[in-house]
Amino acid sequence: MPAAISSRPAVHQDQFAPTLAKQTEPDAVIAYLIRRLLLFIPMAVGMVVVTFGLLLIIPGDPASVLLGQEASPEAIERLRDTLGLNDPWYVRLWDYFANLLSGDFGTSIFQNQPVTTIILGRLGATIELAVAALVIATVLGLAMGVISAMRQGSIIDTITMVFAQLGVSMPVYWLSLLLMLAFAVQLGWLPAIGRGTPLPQAFCAALSGRPQVLMDSLSHLLLPALALSATPAAIISRLTRTSMLEMLREDFVRTAYAKGLRRPRVIIRHVLRNALLPVLSVIGLRFGMLLGGAVLTESIFAWPGLGQLTITAISQRDLPLIQGIVLTFALIFALVNLLVDLLYAAVDPRVRLG
Amino acid sequence: MKKLLLSTTALVFALAIGPALAQEAIVVGTDVDAGTLDSRLTRDTTAYRVADLIYSGLVHINPQLKAEPDLAESWETPDPQTFIFKLREGLKFSDGTPLTADDVVYTYTTLLNPDFNAPMRTLYTPIKSVEKVDDLTVKFNLESPYAPLLSYLDLGIVPQELAEGGRDIATQPVGAGPMQLTSWNRGAEIVLEANPNYWAGAPEIAKVTLKIIPDNSARAQAFEAGDLDVIQSPLSPQDISRLAADDRFGNAIMPGLGVTYINFNTKDPLLSDPKMRQAFSMLVDQQTIVGDIYQGVDEVASSVLLPSSWAFSPDIKQPTFNLEGAIALFNELGWQDSNGDGILDKDGKNLTVTLSTHSEDPNRVQTIEFMQAMFSQAGVDAKTQITDWPSFSTNYVQKSQHQIALLGWLNIVDPDRLLFSQLTTGGSTNWGGYSNPKVDELLQKGRSSLDQEERAAAYQEAAKILAEELPYFILSYQGYQLFYDKEFPTEVTATPRGYLRGLIGMKK
Repeated sequence: MPAAISSRPAVHQDQFAPTLAKQTEPDAVIAYLIRRLLLFIPMAVGMVVVTFGLLLIIPGDPASVLLGQEASPEAIERLRDTLGLNDPWYVRLWDYFANLLSGDFGTSIFQNQPVTTIILGRLGATIELAVAALVIATVLGLAMGVISAMRQGSIIDTITMVFAQLGVSMPVYWLSLLLMLAFAVQLGWLPAIGRGTPLPQAFCAALSGRPQVLMDSLSHLLLPALALSATPAAIISRLTRTSMLEMLREDFVRTAYAKGLRRPRVIIRHVLRNALLPVLSVIGLRFGMLLGGAVLTESIFAWPGLGQLTITAISQRDLPLIQGIVLTFALIFALVNLLVDLLYAAVDPRVRLG
Repeated sequence: MKKLLLSTTALVFALAIGPALAQEAIVVGTDVDAGTLDSRLTRDTTAYRVADLIYSGLVHINPQLKAEPDLAESWETPDPQTFIFKLREGLKFSDGTPLTADDVVYTYTTLLNPDFNAPMRTLYTPIKSVEKVDDLTVKFNLESPYAPLLSYLDLGIVPQELAEGGRDIATQPVGAGPMQLTSWNRGAEIVLEANPNYWAGAPEIAKVTLKIIPDNSARAQAFEAGDLDVIQSPLSPQDISRLAADDRFGNAIMPGLGVTYINFNTKDPLLSDPKMRQAFSMLVDQQTIVGDIYQGVDEVASSVLLPSSWAFSPDIKQPTFNLEGAIALFNELGWQDSNGDGILDKDGKNLTVTLSTHSEDPNRVQTIEFMQAMFSQAGVDAKTQITDWPSFSTNYVQKSQHQIALLGWLNIVDPDRLLFSQLTTGGSTNWGGYSNPKVDELLQKGRSSLDQEERAAAYQEAAKILAEELPYFILSYQGYQLFYDKEFPTEVTATPRGYLRGLIGMKK
């Protein structure tokens, strides 16, 4: 949530009307950052408690899932003891916090590895997918939104908005299978499943003269990223369109034209810049949603990220792992929001951090 | 054109590299990631299948489910409570260290230790002790005669020295099987390479990659797109019919080793009378469920004995679908529609029953919904309860709180595995609380006799009683399917367990 953002940014600012708000001082930015980061601590504690409570309420026992149908009740009881599941809830919660303070997120019941190791091993893949999807969604969404706002009521506008409607309403599961059927099975252009070399390494490989590694990574990334970007692209395009149309009607736009500025300059410099503000905060929020959408997309395209891990962990009641994943998602979400607030201030100098 | 270009390039490459390309690699699609690769702790299909390649056991179970020599070259049973295994000479683990009787003793001793929490421990509990006679001889002492034991001795032998030295066998396994682990990218793929130290020599296939694709349809599409060379059960029925019709692919479709069945809670007042269970069983339209919901992938079942088993007899039959017969039986038991509301009642109470299953398997959910409809046609007010597996199994069926539950059992390599713990009085997985001294006696005889004909007779007699008393109503025998690219580099031998040794060109 943007802290201390003034009202709706309808008041126009440009080089002719000197802005009254002064730029935020660097010191203030740092103080602001520290305060925001400190706020993460109570949030994390809250998340842990809420998740813990939910896991207490939902029925199902990791010990029995782990040992399978054929295990005897005594064997299950013994494992519950070993795992500490028979301790009272406050002891377990206390232990969990005590371990957290020493940086220990616990050990996955099913994979028998530290939760941190497991999550870090998967995090890169999910971030890569979510960022790629967000980039595609932003580029597509902005382009579609701007074009249809410029040509409001035209056939291009109608077509774009029909696409946007489809993008919002198509289930990502179905779209994923359809994309795979078209581009992997029928046309055979792209691989159907899996991930290539992680992008950062692939870039290095490309720089050291092996561009095919990068091409392979990108070809694996394209289909899942496209599937995941459909919904946010649609939402961004609709929002950009509305926001642009609103700005086009503002007085300052008429003034800009009256001054003799050319249309492209008016659109980019005056209309789009103002129209971007609400879009920006939506893009930030969408990143969180993307992490959620990635759960399905990853399962279908066998993308080895956190989404797939989440499904497995929940279906097995792997309690420490679920806690760890929820905390990770919360942290990412909080960091992205912070980033959006900082960007806000960068795009609109009237917004002051503090 | 593109294809032509590609194959020309491949040809040029093949000519240039020559012998290097002669080493074949295959890619297999699978549904879940392995949890652990410690052969003693495996609990999911992927782990079983990978462990079967990485490790070798004393015996190997062939596609006909017979035990064949693997690490043991021979064995004898001087009396029904003793098994003596003779190991091959010069056995080595994939890291080159020797495999001796000590490793066998270590593997089984740790497995039997309750604190080790091995999921399959119950299968081995009749073993009293395992001792080393000499470096190449191991002796198993049993509490009581236990015929199915041999079917379970394909358990992979782990290296004692490494395991005790603190190596994490679960993530860095070392075995004496035909392949060895190269890399394991959690959630994505498991890569194996041929083990030159395998006693029979390295297999023809130099590299096996298992790609983890959780979604059934996505896995089928990846196979059609050529990303995978082999896929196998579980697959969606509609994908199976499409793949079977595609002449680019070869297939092996055979009866599997699993059943889908209805578990009646015999401790429930409504269901304690076998006649009531018979009446409910007659409402299960097996033909429609297997034919339409499972699209003929599975087979209509007739008893607790599998058709693939030596104990099978076609003469033992559970009740079949008969709506009028069921209503007549309900009437006979005093359930009549006395108030004309379309629901049977007795002593002023409606005939109400809860059908339950778990939500992970859409076919089971659909089956329960279909059964609900058939039940209501007979005047039974059927409710459904569908929850995810951990809630369904732990908090419901395993606590005997169900009435009629739809479930499955897998890996039934021996009739004992489907019947003993499940249906003897007080058995560890007897969730329906069934108890019949005659059945107890027959199932005990079935596991203790070492004579197969005697065993078959005992199981058939028990199956006959069970087909009348119906603590279990076996809905279907699960099918097993495997599809492979016709250009597969080796001969393909499928096994109903889905194990992969038949795909890697093993030396005989």
